[in-house]
Amino acid sequence: MDFSGVYALLGLLPFDTLEPRFMRQALLGLLFLSPMTAMLGIHVLNFRMAFFSDAGGHSAFAGLAIGLILGAPPQTAVLVFGVVIGLGIMAAQRKSGLSPDAAIGIVFSAVVAFGLAVVSRAPSLARDIQQYLYGDILTVTESELTILALLLVALCLFEFWGWNRLLAVALSPSLARIEGRSAGLWQYLFAAILALVVMFSVRAVGVLLVTAMLVVPASAGRKLAWSMRGLFWWSIAVSVSSSVIGLMLSAQEWMATASGATIILVSCLWFAASCLWAAFKRSRN
Amino acid sequence: MTTNADVRERGVGVRFERLSVRREGRLILDEITASAPCGGATVIVGPNGAGKTTLLRCLLEETEYSGHIEFVSFDGDRATRPVLGYVPQHLFADAQMPLRVYEFLSLNAEKKPLWLGCSPKNRRRSRELLELVGAEKLENQRLGDLSGGELRRVLLASALGRRPRLLALDEAEAGVDYRGERLFWELLDKSRRELGFTLLMVSHNLPLAAHYATHVICVKKEMIAQGAPRSTLTASTLLELFGVPIHLYPNQCENPGPICAGCGALGNLAYSDNIDGDITS
Repeated sequence: MDFSGVYALLGLLPFDTLEPRFMRQALLGLLFLSPMTAMLGIHVLNFRMAFFSDAGGHSAFAGLAIGLILGAPPQTAVLVFGVVIGLGIMAAQRKSGLSPDAAIGIVFSAVVAFGLAVVSRAPSLARDIQQYLYGDILTVTESELTILALLLVALCLFEFWGWNRLLAVALSPSLARIEGRSAGLWQYLFAAILALVVMFSVRAVGVLLVTAMLVVPASAGRKLAWSMRGLFWWSIAVSVSSSVIGLMLSAQEWMATASGATIILVSCLWFAASCLWAAFKRSRN
Repeated sequence: MTTNADVRERGVGVRFERLSVRREGRLILDEITASAPCGGATVIVGPNGAGKTTLLRCLLEETEYSGHIEFVSFDGDRATRPVLGYVPQHLFADAQMPLRVYEFLSLNAEKKPLWLGCSPKNRRRSRELLELVGAEKLENQRLGDLSGGELRRVLLASALGRRPRLLALDEAEAGVDYRGERLFWELLDKSRRELGFTLLMVSHNLPLAAHYATHVICVKKEMIAQGAPRSTLTASTLLELFGVPIHLYPNQCENPGPICAGCGALGNLAYSDNIDGDITS
Protein backbone atom coordinates (compact mmCIF):
# COMPACT_ATOMS: atom_id res chain seq x y z
CA MET A 1 0.00 0.00 0.00
CA ASP A 2 1.23 3.49 -0.79
CA PHE A 3 1.00 5.80 2.19
CA SER A 4 2.97 8.76 0.73
CA GLY A 5 -0.20 10.83 0.31
CA VAL A 6 -1.07 10.25 3.96
CA TYR A 7 2.45 11.22 5.04
CA ALA A 8 2.17 14.46 3.07
CA LEU A 9 -1.12 15.11 4.81
CA LEU A 10 0.35 14.40 8.25
CA GLY A 11 3.27 16.68 7.34
CA LEU A 12 0.80 19.55 7.10
CA LEU A 13 0.15 19.30 10.83
CA PRO A 14 1.89 22.18 12.63
CA PHE A 15 4.27 20.02 14.67
CA ASP A 16 8.03 20.13 14.20
CA THR A 17 8.31 16.68 15.69
CA LEU A 18 6.59 15.25 12.61
CA GLU A 19 9.42 16.46 10.36
CA PRO A 20 11.25 13.11 10.16
CA ARG A 21 9.53 10.47 8.09
CA PHE A 22 9.77 7.77 10.78
CA MET A 23 7.72 9.99 13.08
CA ARG A 24 4.99 10.25 10.50
CA GLN A 25 5.11 6.50 10.02
CA ALA A 26 4.87 5.95 13.74
CA LEU A 27 1.95 8.37 14.02
CA LEU A 28 0.12 6.61 11.21
CA GLY A 29 0.76 3.23 12.82
CA LEU A 30 -0.73 4.48 16.08
CA LEU A 31 -3.72 6.00 14.29
CA PHE A 32 -4.43 2.53 12.90
CA LEU A 33 -3.61 0.62 16.06
CA SER A 34 -5.15 2.68 18.86
CA PRO A 35 -8.81 2.57 17.73
CA MET A 36 -8.44 -1.20 17.39
CA THR A 37 -7.11 -1.70 20.91
CA ALA A 38 -9.95 0.48 22.22
CA MET A 39 -12.68 -1.50 20.43
CA LEU A 40 -11.20 -4.84 21.43
CA GLY A 41 -10.59 -3.66 24.97
CA ILE A 42 -14.35 -3.27 25.46
CA HIS A 43 -14.90 -6.95 24.68
CA VAL A 44 -11.86 -7.91 26.75
CA LEU A 45 -13.45 -6.27 29.79
CA ASN A 46 -16.91 -7.69 29.02
CA PHE A 47 -15.50 -11.19 28.83
CA ARG A 48 -13.21 -10.57 31.84
CA MET A 49 -10.20 -11.74 29.86
CA ALA A 50 -7.57 -9.08 30.51
CA PHE A 51 -5.28 -11.94 31.36
CA PHE A 52 -5.76 -13.27 27.83
CA SER A 53 -4.03 -10.27 26.29
CA ASP A 54 -1.19 -10.64 28.75
CA ALA A 55 -0.74 -14.28 27.83
CA GLY A 56 -1.00 -13.47 24.12
CA GLY A 57 1.60 -10.77 24.44
CA HIS A 58 4.01 -13.01 26.29
CA SER A 59 3.65 -15.70 23.67
CA ALA A 60 5.57 -13.34 21.38
CA PHE A 61 8.75 -14.78 22.93
CA ALA A 62 7.79 -18.30 22.01
CA GLY A 63 6.87 -17.15 18.50
CA LEU A 64 10.32 -15.64 18.22
CA ALA A 65 11.87 -18.89 19.39
CA ILE A 66 9.87 -21.05 16.99
CA GLY A 67 10.76 -18.73 14.13
CA LEU A 68 14.39 -19.21 15.09
CA ILE A 69 14.12 -23.00 15.13
CA LEU A 70 12.18 -23.22 11.86
CA GLY A 71 14.24 -20.51 10.21
CA ALA A 72 11.12 -18.44 9.51
CA PRO A 73 11.19 -14.66 9.66
CA PRO A 74 10.64 -13.70 13.32
CA GLN A 75 7.86 -11.14 12.63
CA THR A 76 5.71 -13.68 10.82
CA ALA A 77 6.40 -16.44 13.33
CA VAL A 78 5.34 -14.14 16.17
CA LEU A 79 2.04 -13.26 14.46
CA VAL A 80 1.16 -16.82 13.51
CA PHE A 81 2.05 -18.23 16.91
CA GLY A 82 0.10 -15.46 18.64
CA VAL A 83 -3.04 -16.37 16.69
CA VAL A 84 -2.61 -20.06 17.49
CA ILE A 85 -2.26 -19.33 21.21
CA GLY A 86 -5.24 -16.95 21.08
CA LEU A 87 -7.51 -19.54 19.47
CA GLY A 88 -6.32 -22.16 21.94
CA ILE A 89 -7.17 -19.99 24.92
CA MET A 90 -10.58 -19.16 23.47
CA ALA A 91 -11.32 -22.86 22.95
CA ALA A 92 -10.34 -23.61 26.55
CA GLN A 93 -12.51 -20.77 27.83
CA ARG A 94 -15.57 -21.79 25.81
CA LYS A 95 -15.29 -25.40 26.80
CA SER A 96 -14.76 -25.10 30.52
CA GLY A 97 -17.11 -22.16 31.02
CA LEU A 98 -15.02 -21.43 34.08
CA SER A 99 -12.65 -18.62 34.77
CA PRO A 100 -9.60 -19.81 32.88
CA ASP A 101 -7.06 -17.87 34.93
CA ALA A 102 -5.15 -20.85 36.21
CA ALA A 103 -5.03 -22.61 32.84
CA ILE A 104 -3.82 -19.48 31.07
CA GLY A 105 -1.33 -18.83 33.84
CA ILE A 106 0.27 -22.22 33.42
CA VAL A 107 0.23 -22.25 29.64
CA PHE A 108 1.69 -18.83 29.33
CA SER A 109 4.44 -19.42 31.86
CA ALA A 110 5.40 -22.48 29.82
CA VAL A 111 5.32 -20.48 26.61
CA VAL A 112 7.44 -17.64 28.00
CA ALA A 113 9.97 -20.00 29.57
CA PHE A 114 10.28 -21.95 26.33
CA GLY A 115 10.76 -18.76 24.35
CA LEU A 116 13.37 -17.32 26.66
CA ALA A 117 15.24 -20.63 26.87
CA VAL A 118 15.55 -20.97 23.10
CA VAL A 119 16.28 -17.31 22.47
CA SER A 120 18.92 -17.19 25.21
CA ARG A 121 20.96 -19.67 23.17
CA ALA A 122 21.20 -17.14 20.33
CA PRO A 123 22.91 -13.94 21.52
CA SER A 124 22.18 -12.30 18.18
CA LEU A 125 18.52 -12.12 19.15
CA ALA A 126 19.15 -10.14 22.32
CA ARG A 127 18.28 -6.90 20.49
CA ASP A 128 14.97 -8.39 19.30
CA ILE A 129 14.11 -9.36 22.84
CA GLN A 130 14.64 -5.76 23.91
CA GLN A 131 12.33 -4.64 21.16
CA TYR A 132 9.59 -7.00 22.36
CA LEU A 133 10.01 -6.10 26.01
CA TYR A 134 9.77 -2.34 25.61
CA GLY A 135 8.28 -1.96 22.14
CA ASP A 136 9.38 0.50 19.49
CA ILE A 137 6.73 2.06 17.31
CA LEU A 138 9.35 4.34 15.73
CA THR A 139 10.71 1.42 13.70
CA VAL A 140 7.37 0.36 12.25
CA THR A 141 7.76 -0.68 8.60
CA GLU A 142 5.65 0.05 5.53
CA SER A 143 4.55 -3.57 5.26
CA GLU A 144 3.46 -3.56 8.88
CA LEU A 145 1.47 -0.40 8.21
CA THR A 146 -0.27 -2.16 5.33
CA ILE A 147 -1.22 -5.09 7.55
CA LEU A 148 -2.45 -2.69 10.24
CA ALA A 149 -4.63 -0.82 7.72
CA LEU A 150 -6.17 -4.06 6.46
CA LEU A 151 -6.68 -5.25 10.02
CA LEU A 152 -8.46 -2.02 10.89
CA VAL A 153 -10.86 -2.47 7.99
CA ALA A 154 -11.48 -6.10 8.96
CA LEU A 155 -12.07 -5.15 12.59
CA CYS A 156 -14.54 -2.41 11.66
CA LEU A 157 -16.57 -4.90 9.63
CA PHE A 158 -16.35 -7.39 12.49
CA GLU A 159 -17.51 -4.81 15.01
CA PHE A 160 -20.44 -3.89 12.79
CA TRP A 161 -21.73 -7.44 12.36
CA GLY A 162 -20.57 -9.07 15.54
CA TRP A 163 -20.80 -6.48 18.30
CA ASN A 164 -24.29 -7.21 19.61
CA ARG A 165 -23.67 -10.91 19.28
CA LEU A 166 -20.49 -10.82 21.35
CA LEU A 167 -22.11 -8.68 24.02
CA ALA A 168 -25.04 -11.11 24.21
CA VAL A 169 -22.66 -14.03 24.68
CA ALA A 170 -20.66 -12.15 27.31
CA LEU A 171 -23.84 -11.40 29.28
CA SER A 172 -25.24 -14.92 29.20
CA PRO A 173 -24.12 -17.70 26.87
CA SER A 174 -27.33 -19.67 27.54
CA LEU A 175 -29.56 -16.72 26.76
CA ALA A 176 -27.59 -15.98 23.60
CA ARG A 177 -28.06 -19.57 22.44
CA ILE A 178 -31.80 -19.41 23.01
CA GLU A 179 -31.93 -16.21 21.01
CA GLY A 180 -30.22 -17.97 18.14
CA ARG A 181 -27.09 -15.97 18.80
CA SER A 182 -24.64 -18.77 19.38
CA ALA A 183 -21.40 -17.13 18.52
CA GLY A 184 -18.68 -19.74 18.24
CA LEU A 185 -17.40 -18.46 14.93
CA TRP A 186 -17.50 -14.84 16.11
CA GLN A 187 -15.69 -15.66 19.33
CA TYR A 188 -12.89 -17.38 17.44
CA LEU A 189 -12.69 -14.53 14.93
CA PHE A 190 -12.51 -12.15 17.88
CA ALA A 191 -9.72 -14.20 19.45
CA ALA A 192 -7.77 -14.22 16.19
CA ILE A 193 -8.10 -10.48 15.60
CA LEU A 194 -7.31 -9.80 19.25
CA ALA A 195 -4.18 -11.93 19.05
CA LEU A 196 -2.99 -10.08 15.94
CA VAL A 197 -3.69 -6.68 17.47
CA VAL A 198 -1.95 -7.73 20.67
CA MET A 199 1.14 -8.66 18.69
CA PHE A 200 1.19 -5.28 16.99
CA SER A 201 0.64 -3.60 20.34
CA VAL A 202 3.71 -5.47 21.57
CA ARG A 203 5.60 -3.76 18.75
CA ALA A 204 4.23 -0.40 19.90
CA VAL A 205 4.45 -0.50 23.70
CA GLY A 206 6.15 -3.79 24.57
CA VAL A 207 5.12 -6.97 26.34
CA LEU A 208 5.18 -5.29 29.73
CA LEU A 209 2.56 -2.71 28.83
CA VAL A 210 0.44 -4.42 26.22
CA THR A 211 -2.50 -5.11 28.55
CA ALA A 212 -2.74 -1.43 29.40
CA MET A 213 -3.21 -0.61 25.71
CA LEU A 214 -6.42 -2.70 25.74
CA VAL A 215 -7.75 -2.28 29.23
CA VAL A 216 -7.07 1.35 30.16
CA PRO A 217 -9.07 3.12 27.39
CA ALA A 218 -12.07 0.83 27.86
CA SER A 219 -11.92 1.27 31.64
CA ALA A 220 -11.81 5.05 31.32
CA GLY A 221 -14.66 4.76 28.81
CA ARG A 222 -16.75 2.85 31.33
CA LYS A 223 -16.36 5.71 33.81
CA LEU A 224 -17.10 8.43 31.28
CA ALA A 225 -19.87 6.87 29.20
CA TRP A 226 -23.59 6.97 29.84
CA SER A 227 -24.41 3.94 27.70
CA MET A 228 -22.77 1.16 25.72
CA ARG A 229 -22.91 3.41 22.69
CA GLY A 230 -21.03 6.08 24.62
CA LEU A 231 -18.57 3.50 25.89
CA PHE A 232 -17.58 2.61 22.34
CA TRP A 233 -16.85 6.17 21.27
CA TRP A 234 -15.28 7.31 24.54
CA SER A 235 -12.88 4.37 24.54
CA ILE A 236 -11.75 5.19 21.02
CA ALA A 237 -11.36 8.87 21.88
CA VAL A 238 -9.26 8.07 24.95
CA SER A 239 -7.12 5.55 23.10
CA VAL A 240 -6.40 7.66 20.00
CA SER A 241 -5.76 10.85 21.92
CA SER A 242 -3.43 9.07 24.37
CA SER A 243 -1.43 7.59 21.50
CA VAL A 244 -1.08 10.85 19.59
CA ILE A 245 -0.30 12.97 22.65
CA GLY A 246 2.03 10.30 24.05
CA LEU A 247 4.00 10.05 20.82
CA MET A 248 4.32 13.82 20.48
CA LEU A 249 5.39 14.26 24.10
CA SER A 250 7.96 11.50 23.94
CA ALA A 251 9.62 13.22 20.98
CA GLN A 252 9.99 16.56 22.74
CA GLU A 253 13.56 17.38 23.64
CA TRP A 254 12.71 18.10 27.26
CA MET A 255 10.93 14.71 27.57
CA ALA A 256 12.96 12.33 25.43
CA THR A 257 11.18 9.30 26.92
CA ALA A 258 10.27 5.94 25.39
CA SER A 259 7.19 6.44 23.23
CA GLY A 260 5.35 3.30 24.40
CA ALA A 261 5.65 4.13 28.08
CA THR A 262 4.64 7.74 27.47
CA ILE A 263 1.51 6.66 25.59
CA ILE A 264 0.44 4.42 28.46
CA LEU A 265 1.16 7.17 30.99
CA VAL A 266 -1.11 9.57 29.12
CA SER A 267 -3.92 7.02 28.97
CA CYS A 268 -3.53 6.35 32.70
CA LEU A 269 -3.91 10.09 33.29
CA TRP A 270 -7.13 9.87 31.26
CA PHE A 271 -8.26 7.05 33.53
CA ALA A 272 -7.49 9.06 36.68
CA ALA A 273 -9.45 11.99 35.26
CA SER A 274 -12.37 9.70 34.43
CA CYS A 275 -12.43 8.41 38.01
CA LEU A 276 -12.59 11.97 39.31
CA TRP A 277 -15.39 12.73 36.86
CA ALA A 278 -17.34 9.65 37.96
CA ALA A 279 -16.90 10.60 41.62
CA PHE A 280 -18.05 14.15 40.85
CA LYS A 281 -21.14 12.84 39.06
CA ARG A 282 -21.97 10.52 41.97
CA SER A 283 -21.63 13.33 44.49
CA ARG A 284 -24.15 15.46 42.56
CA ASN A 285 -26.79 12.70 42.56
CA MET B 1 -59.46 -10.13 19.41
CA THR B 2 -58.41 -13.40 20.97
CA THR B 3 -60.60 -15.21 23.41
CA ASN B 4 -59.27 -16.84 26.54
CA ALA B 5 -59.39 -20.28 24.99
CA ASP B 6 -57.21 -19.15 22.07
CA VAL B 7 -54.63 -17.79 24.46
CA ARG B 8 -54.59 -20.98 26.46
CA GLU B 9 -54.03 -23.02 23.33
CA ARG B 10 -50.87 -21.08 22.51
CA GLY B 11 -48.85 -22.80 25.23
CA VAL B 12 -46.80 -25.85 24.28
CA GLY B 13 -46.22 -28.52 26.93
CA VAL B 14 -43.17 -30.71 27.49
CA ARG B 15 -42.77 -34.36 28.32
CA PHE B 16 -39.48 -35.69 29.68
CA GLU B 17 -39.14 -39.42 29.17
CA ARG B 18 -36.57 -41.50 31.00
CA LEU B 19 -34.21 -38.58 30.99
CA SER B 20 -30.77 -39.29 32.44
CA VAL B 21 -27.75 -37.05 32.66
CA ARG B 22 -24.30 -38.26 33.50
CA ARG B 23 -21.43 -35.86 34.04
CA GLU B 24 -17.88 -37.09 34.51
CA GLY B 25 -19.21 -40.52 35.41
CA ARG B 26 -21.53 -39.15 38.07
CA LEU B 27 -25.26 -39.60 37.66
CA ILE B 28 -26.95 -36.19 37.92
CA LEU B 29 -30.44 -37.17 36.81
CA ASP B 30 -31.72 -40.73 36.82
CA GLU B 31 -34.53 -41.71 34.47
CA ILE B 32 -36.76 -38.71 35.01
CA THR B 33 -40.20 -39.09 33.51
CA ALA B 34 -42.29 -35.98 34.04
CA SER B 35 -44.36 -33.48 32.16
CA ALA B 36 -45.26 -29.81 32.13
CA PRO B 37 -48.85 -29.61 30.89
CA CYS B 38 -49.82 -27.17 28.14
CA GLY B 39 -50.52 -23.65 29.27
CA GLY B 40 -49.92 -24.50 32.91
CA ALA B 41 -47.44 -23.32 35.50
CA THR B 42 -45.15 -26.20 36.40
CA VAL B 43 -42.67 -25.77 39.22
CA ILE B 44 -39.66 -28.04 39.69
CA VAL B 45 -38.98 -28.55 43.40
CA GLY B 46 -36.09 -30.28 45.13
CA PRO B 47 -33.08 -29.75 47.39
CA ASN B 48 -29.82 -28.16 46.26
CA GLY B 49 -27.92 -30.37 43.85
CA ALA B 50 -31.04 -32.36 42.97
CA GLY B 51 -30.59 -31.64 39.27
CA LYS B 52 -33.38 -29.06 38.89
CA THR B 53 -31.32 -26.66 36.83
CA THR B 54 -29.87 -29.59 34.88
CA LEU B 55 -33.39 -30.57 33.87
CA LEU B 56 -33.90 -27.08 32.46
CA ARG B 57 -30.53 -27.24 30.74
CA CYS B 58 -31.66 -30.44 28.99
CA LEU B 59 -34.69 -28.58 27.71
CA LEU B 60 -32.44 -25.77 26.45
CA GLU B 61 -30.18 -28.39 24.82
CA GLU B 62 -27.20 -27.15 26.77
CA THR B 63 -26.22 -30.47 28.20
CA GLU B 64 -26.09 -34.00 26.86
CA TYR B 65 -28.71 -36.44 28.05
CA SER B 66 -30.17 -39.83 27.29
CA GLY B 67 -33.93 -40.28 26.97
CA HIS B 68 -36.43 -38.12 25.15
CA ILE B 69 -37.90 -34.67 25.37
CA GLU B 70 -41.20 -34.31 23.56
CA PHE B 71 -43.31 -31.25 23.01
CA VAL B 72 -47.05 -31.49 23.22
CA SER B 73 -49.63 -29.17 21.72
CA PHE B 74 -52.89 -28.22 23.38
CA ASP B 75 -54.92 -30.99 21.69
CA GLY B 76 -52.46 -33.63 22.84
CA ASP B 77 -50.57 -34.05 19.56
CA ARG B 78 -46.84 -34.02 19.37
CA ALA B 79 -45.53 -30.58 18.51
CA THR B 80 -42.30 -29.35 17.00
CA ARG B 81 -39.81 -27.51 19.17
CA PRO B 82 -41.60 -24.29 20.12
CA VAL B 83 -40.23 -20.79 20.53
CA LEU B 84 -38.57 -20.92 23.93
CA GLY B 85 -38.17 -18.07 26.34
CA TYR B 86 -35.54 -18.29 29.04
CA VAL B 87 -34.88 -16.32 32.20
CA PRO B 88 -31.37 -17.18 33.44
CA GLN B 89 -30.17 -17.18 37.04
CA HIS B 90 -28.01 -14.13 36.50
CA LEU B 91 -26.15 -12.09 33.92
CA PHE B 92 -22.39 -11.74 33.75
CA ALA B 93 -22.60 -7.96 33.79
CA ASP B 94 -20.44 -6.24 36.36
CA ALA B 95 -21.68 -3.04 37.95
CA GLN B 96 -19.22 -0.96 35.94
CA MET B 97 -20.64 -1.90 32.56
CA PRO B 98 -22.70 1.07 31.33
CA LEU B 99 -25.32 -1.16 29.70
CA ARG B 100 -28.74 0.52 29.82
CA VAL B 101 -31.93 -1.49 30.17
CA TYR B 102 -33.24 -0.34 26.77
CA GLU B 103 -29.94 -1.32 25.17
CA PHE B 104 -30.12 -4.77 26.74
CA LEU B 105 -33.68 -5.26 25.49
CA SER B 106 -32.69 -4.18 21.95
CA LEU B 107 -29.59 -6.34 21.87
CA ASN B 108 -31.12 -9.17 19.87
CA ALA B 109 -33.75 -7.26 17.95
CA GLU B 110 -31.40 -4.58 16.67
CA LYS B 111 -29.70 -5.27 13.35
CA LYS B 112 -27.21 -2.44 13.72
CA PRO B 113 -24.54 -2.64 16.42
CA LEU B 114 -25.48 -0.86 19.64
CA TRP B 115 -22.66 1.65 19.18
CA LEU B 116 -24.67 3.21 16.37
CA GLY B 117 -27.59 3.61 18.76
CA CYS B 118 -31.04 2.03 18.99
CA SER B 119 -33.65 2.70 16.34
CA PRO B 120 -36.86 4.48 17.48
CA LYS B 121 -38.74 1.29 16.64
CA ASN B 122 -36.66 -0.75 19.08
CA ARG B 123 -36.85 1.96 21.75
CA ARG B 124 -40.64 1.71 21.48
CA ARG B 125 -40.49 -2.08 21.62
CA SER B 126 -38.33 -1.97 24.77
CA ARG B 127 -40.81 0.38 26.41
CA GLU B 128 -43.73 -1.91 25.55
CA LEU B 129 -41.91 -4.94 26.94
CA LEU B 130 -41.16 -3.10 30.15
CA GLU B 131 -44.80 -2.08 30.44
CA LEU B 132 -45.72 -5.77 30.27
CA VAL B 133 -43.74 -6.40 33.44
CA GLY B 134 -44.61 -3.12 35.14
CA ALA B 135 -41.06 -1.80 34.93
CA GLU B 136 -41.30 1.08 32.46
CA LYS B 137 -39.46 3.32 34.94
CA LEU B 138 -36.32 1.23 34.51
CA GLU B 139 -35.87 1.99 30.81
CA ASN B 140 -32.86 4.29 31.20
CA GLN B 141 -31.29 2.62 34.24
CA ARG B 142 -27.94 0.89 34.15
CA LEU B 143 -28.33 -2.85 34.39
CA GLY B 144 -25.70 -2.95 37.13
CA ASP B 145 -27.71 -0.55 39.31
CA LEU B 146 -30.87 -2.68 39.38
CA SER B 147 -31.97 -4.57 42.47
CA GLY B 148 -32.36 -8.33 42.27
CA GLY B 149 -36.11 -8.04 41.79
CA GLU B 150 -35.83 -5.35 39.12
CA LEU B 151 -33.30 -7.40 37.18
CA ARG B 152 -35.69 -10.38 37.25
CA ARG B 153 -38.37 -8.22 35.70
CA VAL B 154 -36.08 -6.95 32.97
CA LEU B 155 -34.94 -10.50 32.18
CA LEU B 156 -38.58 -11.57 32.04
CA ALA B 157 -39.38 -8.67 29.69
CA SER B 158 -36.52 -9.76 27.46
CA ALA B 159 -37.78 -13.35 27.41
CA LEU B 160 -41.35 -12.26 26.67
CA GLY B 161 -40.00 -10.26 23.73
CA ARG B 162 -39.59 -13.52 21.84
CA ARG B 163 -43.32 -14.30 22.26
CA PRO B 164 -42.47 -17.72 23.71
CA ARG B 165 -44.78 -20.71 23.69
CA LEU B 166 -42.77 -22.19 26.52
CA LEU B 167 -41.03 -20.11 29.15
CA ALA B 168 -38.25 -21.64 31.24
CA LEU B 169 -37.21 -19.82 34.40
CA ASP B 170 -34.22 -20.61 36.50
CA GLU B 171 -34.14 -19.57 40.09
CA ALA B 172 -32.84 -16.08 40.86
CA GLU B 173 -29.36 -16.24 42.27
CA ALA B 174 -29.37 -12.87 43.97
CA GLY B 175 -31.75 -12.54 46.86
CA VAL B 176 -35.18 -11.14 46.13
CA ASP B 177 -37.18 -10.31 49.26
CA TYR B 178 -40.43 -12.06 49.98
CA ARG B 179 -42.56 -9.17 48.84
CA GLY B 180 -40.63 -8.88 45.57
CA GLU B 181 -40.84 -12.62 45.04
CA ARG B 182 -44.58 -12.66 45.62
CA LEU B 183 -45.13 -9.76 43.19
CA PHE B 184 -42.96 -11.51 40.60
CA TRP B 185 -44.99 -14.72 40.78
CA GLU B 186 -48.17 -12.69 40.50
CA LEU B 187 -46.73 -11.06 37.39
CA LEU B 188 -45.73 -14.43 35.93
CA ASP B 189 -49.22 -15.76 36.55
CA LYS B 190 -50.82 -12.75 34.90
CA SER B 191 -48.51 -12.85 31.85
CA ARG B 192 -49.10 -16.57 31.45
CA ARG B 193 -52.85 -16.09 31.42
CA GLU B 194 -52.77 -13.06 29.14
CA LEU B 195 -50.07 -14.06 26.67
CA GLY B 196 -50.56 -17.80 26.75
CA PHE B 197 -47.43 -19.85 27.32
CA THR B 198 -46.45 -22.89 29.30
CA LEU B 199 -44.35 -21.99 32.31
CA LEU B 200 -41.66 -24.30 33.61
CA MET B 201 -39.68 -22.93 36.50
CA VAL B 202 -37.26 -23.97 39.19
CA SER B 203 -38.02 -22.68 42.66
CA HIS B 204 -37.16 -23.12 46.30
CA ASN B 205 -40.19 -21.18 47.39
CA LEU B 206 -42.65 -23.85 48.49
CA PRO B 207 -45.49 -21.62 49.71
CA LEU B 208 -45.55 -19.67 46.46
CA ALA B 209 -45.27 -22.86 44.42
CA ALA B 210 -48.20 -24.27 46.36
CA HIS B 211 -50.19 -21.13 45.66
CA TYR B 212 -49.42 -20.49 41.98
CA ALA B 213 -48.37 -23.78 40.43
CA THR B 214 -50.83 -25.89 38.49
CA HIS B 215 -48.39 -28.80 38.48
CA VAL B 216 -45.26 -29.62 40.46
CA ILE B 217 -42.36 -31.95 39.69
CA CYS B 218 -40.38 -33.16 42.71
CA VAL B 219 -36.89 -34.37 41.85
CA LYS B 220 -33.94 -35.49 43.89
CA LYS B 221 -31.69 -37.00 41.25
CA GLU B 222 -34.56 -39.36 40.55
CA MET B 223 -38.24 -38.73 40.19
CA ILE B 224 -39.97 -38.42 43.58
CA ALA B 225 -43.48 -37.28 42.63
CA GLN B 226 -45.47 -35.08 40.28
CA GLY B 227 -48.99 -33.77 40.10
CA ALA B 228 -51.20 -31.01 41.44
CA PRO B 229 -49.50 -29.14 44.31
CA ARG B 230 -51.97 -30.09 46.99
CA SER B 231 -51.79 -33.80 46.32
CA THR B 232 -48.05 -33.78 45.60
CA LEU B 233 -46.40 -31.46 48.11
CA THR B 234 -47.50 -33.65 51.00
CA ALA B 235 -45.63 -33.87 54.26
CA SER B 236 -44.25 -37.30 53.39
CA THR B 237 -43.04 -36.24 49.93
CA LEU B 238 -41.42 -33.12 51.36
CA LEU B 239 -39.77 -35.17 54.08
CA GLU B 240 -38.37 -37.49 51.42
CA LEU B 241 -37.18 -34.53 49.34
CA PHE B 242 -35.63 -32.35 52.00
CA GLY B 243 -35.07 -34.71 54.91
CA VAL B 244 -36.83 -32.43 57.40
CA PRO B 245 -40.51 -32.17 58.32
CA ILE B 246 -42.24 -29.46 56.29
CA HIS B 247 -45.98 -29.08 56.46
CA LEU B 248 -47.29 -26.89 53.71
CA TYR B 249 -50.85 -27.99 54.24
CA PRO B 250 -51.48 -28.37 57.98
CA ASN B 251 -54.19 -30.99 57.53
CA GLN B 252 -51.72 -33.25 55.76
CA CYS B 253 -49.44 -33.65 58.72
CA GLU B 254 -49.10 -37.32 59.45
CA ASN B 255 -48.28 -36.81 63.09
CA PRO B 256 -51.31 -38.29 64.84
CA GLY B 257 -51.29 -35.91 67.78
CA PRO B 258 -53.46 -32.81 67.96
CA ILE B 259 -50.42 -30.54 67.44
CA CYS B 260 -47.29 -31.72 65.65
CA ALA B 261 -44.30 -31.57 67.98
CA GLY B 262 -41.98 -31.03 65.01
CA CYS B 263 -43.62 -28.07 63.36
CA GLY B 264 -46.42 -26.85 65.54
CA ALA B 265 -48.98 -27.51 62.79
CA LEU B 266 -52.25 -29.15 63.57
CA GLY B 267 -52.01 -32.88 63.25
CA ASN B 268 -53.94 -35.15 61.00
CA LEU B 269 -56.32 -36.44 63.64
CA ALA B 270 -57.17 -33.09 65.10
CA TYR B 271 -58.01 -31.75 61.71
CA SER B 272 -60.09 -34.62 60.41
CA ASP B 273 -61.93 -35.20 63.68
CA ASN B 274 -62.77 -31.60 64.35
CA ILE B 275 -62.79 -30.25 60.85
CA ASP B 276 -64.88 -27.30 61.91
CA GLY B 277 -65.16 -27.86 65.63
CA ASP B 278 -63.01 -26.99 68.60
CA ILE B 279 -59.45 -27.82 67.58
CA THR B 280 -57.53 -26.63 70.59
CA SER B 281 -58.56 -29.41 72.95
